[in-house]
Amino acid sequence: MINIYIILTTSTNLLVGMTNLLSLGQAALYGIGAYLAVLALMALHLSLLPTLIFVILGTSLLSLLVAYPSLRLRGDYFVLATLGFQLIVFTILYNWVSVTKGPYGIPGIPSLVLFGDIIISGIIPYLILSSIFAIGVIIIFYKLIHSPFGRALKAVRDDELSAQAIGRNVTALKIWAFVVSSGFIGISGLLYASYVSYIDPTSFNLDEAIFILSAVIIGGTGNIKGPIVGAVFVVVLPELLRFVGLPDSVAANLRQIIYGLMIIILMRLRPQGLAGEYALK
Amino acid sequence: MFLQFMINGIIIGSIYSLVSLGFALVYNTTRIFHLAYAVLYMFCPYIILTFYSNLGYPLIIAFIIAIIITILLSLILEIIIYRPLSKKGSSDNIIMISSIGIMIVVINIVAMLYGNETKILNQNISETLTFGSIIITYTQLAQFLISSFLLVVFLMFLKFSKFGIKTRAMRDDTILCSVFGSDIYKMRIALFTLSAIFAAVGGGLVAYDVGMDPYVGMPMLLNAVVALIIGGIGRFEAPILGGFIIGILQSLSVWAFSARWQDAVTFTLLILFLMFRPQGLLGEKRRTV
Amino acid sequence: MNNDTILNIDSIRKSFVRNIVNVRGKDEDERFFLLEDIDLLVSKGKVTALIGGNGTGKTTLFNIISGFFNADEGKISFMSYGKHVELTGINAYKIARLGIGRMFQDNHIFQNMSVLENMLIADDKFFGERPFESILFYKINNTIEKQRKEKAEKIFAELFGDNNPFLKMKNEKAKNLSYGQQRLLGLARLLMGDYKLLLLDEPTSGVNPLVVEKIKELIKYFVEQKELTIFLIEHNMNFVLDVADFCHFMSKGIIAMGGTPEDIIGNPEVRKAYLGI
Repeated sequence: MINIYIILTTSTNLLVGMTNLLSLGQAALYGIGAYLAVLALMALHLSLLPTLIFVILGTSLLSLLVAYPSLRLRGDYFVLATLGFQLIVFTILYNWVSVTKGPYGIPGIPSLVLFGDIIISGIIPYLILSSIFAIGVIIIFYKLIHSPFGRALKAVRDDELSAQAIGRNVTALKIWAFVVSSGFIGISGLLYASYVSYIDPTSFNLDEAIFILSAVIIGGTGNIKGPIVGAVFVVVLPELLRFVGLPDSVAANLRQIIYGLMIIILMRLRPQGLAGEYALK
Repeated sequence: MFLQFMINGIIIGSIYSLVSLGFALVYNTTRIFHLAYAVLYMFCPYIILTFYSNLGYPLIIAFIIAIIITILLSLILEIIIYRPLSKKGSSDNIIMISSIGIMIVVINIVAMLYGNETKILNQNISETLTFGSIIITYTQLAQFLISSFLLVVFLMFLKFSKFGIKTRAMRDDTILCSVFGSDIYKMRIALFTLSAIFAAVGGGLVAYDVGMDPYVGMPMLLNAVVALIIGGIGRFEAPILGGFIIGILQSLSVWAFSARWQDAVTFTLLILFLMFRPQGLLGEKRRTV
Repeated sequence: MNNDTILNIDSIRKSFVRNIVNVRGKDEDERFFLLEDIDLLVSKGKVTALIGGNGTGKTTLFNIISGFFNADEGKISFMSYGKHVELTGINAYKIARLGIGRMFQDNHIFQNMSVLENMLIADDKFFGERPFESILFYKINNTIEKQRKEKAEKIFAELFGDNNPFLKMKNEKAKNLSYGQQRLLGLARLLMGDYKLLLLDEPTSGVNPLVVEKIKELIKYFVEQKELTIFLIEHNMNFVLDVADFCHFMSKGIIAMGGTPEDIIGNPEVRKAYLGI
């Protein structure tokens, strides 16, 4: 799970930390990735590599549909548009029973097939596979952040007006950031679906979207370290609480309360998050 | 049947209008994207539950106590969370994220104390009035009358009182308003109080009809925000108009398709507005530099 | 538009709506024309100054030229690389790419980026700014990045001499520079792009006399050595007298007067309406 969340938060950081765009639609993209993966695995019987390409392209293309109209809007409106997108996607996943099985979910998702007959199943192979993906994603995002593309995004984040005045197409850059980040979020959807072998829409609801965003914000925005810290923190904290010996019913709520308090305190004292370098604007 | 759904739409629309107006009061004047407002809406019925069902107070008294406690919660949030952030000059996004934090904390405290399951306030089935083929429950009637009353009183108040003029001045230009000697933070106390009243009344009225769980605030808040966008940010009549439009539209979409798709209809409407008329029905573009 | 003209502003009108609460406490919307009818020519290779009282719409005019606002009526044409281009309705970033550089009134440099990055980002080559370009073609990217750095350092050296503070602080965040230094960085940044016309909005506001002298020097250098055309808004009359070749006085939404700086600033009407002397 840590690896999945690292991919989620690292990708989201490109949006939140590098471009200063708060998106509440990340869980919808995560869900789209997962459902597309199921489509590829169960209906088309693809092996790992084609599935991966299918999921990345599919998620990116679908995100373009949201990105294009919503990124022409300013600040608050962008958040609202992504929120609207999140809720519409959830409603579709939940209610389009003939395709998504709605609230009943889709069980029995097959394991990933690497090449020919090498099947990845069991905890250890998954751990290795997801670690490879997570590290790959981290490296790619590190390169991106330190490329001219990353620099242009930083410019947009700092001062949109100036960025336009020096000939940078702000809307196009934001759309790229959104689409690239979405494509990688699709990967985490794929890993999740094949790891738990059962998906239903409630894993991709608004609470999850808020959760992903909080993980990024708690960890920190604007560099590569922050989102990783955030992902590790939100996955490890529940285990810690269990270790302390709290009953599960209380622990679930208590965990949320800790996240909430951390967000409030961080925003007041350290708006760049635990390990981030750039404070949100 | 069409008429029945229309009436239902108007009744729920009046609640949306009320809640949306409360949100607009804070958002239009302070630019705080007050997501924790959802929590106030959810919080009030739980207090009613404590005083009415558990301690046996009369319903009206319990309702009033609950409104007062909700106002207190709203003021606590303003004083210990929003005010320091705004004095520090934090950005809108930071304030909004803090608001998400507050929302998470309060929802989970309520869930710990009262449990996650749905609770109901009114054990009896509400009696009904029948006009021809149209059926309205007494609860619905109360919802409509109380919220309409509050809306009308508020609009009159806004038009004619000194406070109303100040509110509108603050909406237009906060800095200028403070230069002219209005104490912005005193104004904000008043605004957070009023908005808490609207949330609490809305929350109480709906919960009396259909019950509540700790998560009811968010969907209602979303409807309120969509109402505000559709109506247009700026004028205070706008969220009221938006509220009724959404109420009627949702009710009609239940009539035409099914209840499952009403959220999709609402948010499609939101996205259409954001794309084609982001200033809303009653808004106009302003000079921003 | 003859060959000496680089920018032709023709009958520009722009209105805004203001929403006011009147004395009786009623909301009112009112439409008013900030720019009534603006006609203006900017000559190639010269420094043209625009003066006028606060709130007369000078910056709004600049914003219309740069494409941040659309005018209600009128058109603007620009001589870009030997071709006439209509600027009306074109996006701001495209206008910049046509060769119009802009400096804003309150610096607007990228505060959280390093001094060097502020220069690199303003380069007129866009290679590597699409997401995977820099990873897929990392060799080309490295070469271009190196060229960009050399270009930036050369500009710093030319403008401010060897051993200047910008070279020393190149890896520090731009917000650590003083206000005057930020202004100079903003001017230096304009040389990274391949601009023909620079719009400078109050280049001397809020900086000390030493920096004003430096800016004067830079403007002369831009015009004489780099063959740039400069169109600037200014309140500092001595500065206008020193650097400008032409001067236009804007009042009540129109260009009330145009001519040499001496004539305009010496004109009794201008002195009365604007300077109050």
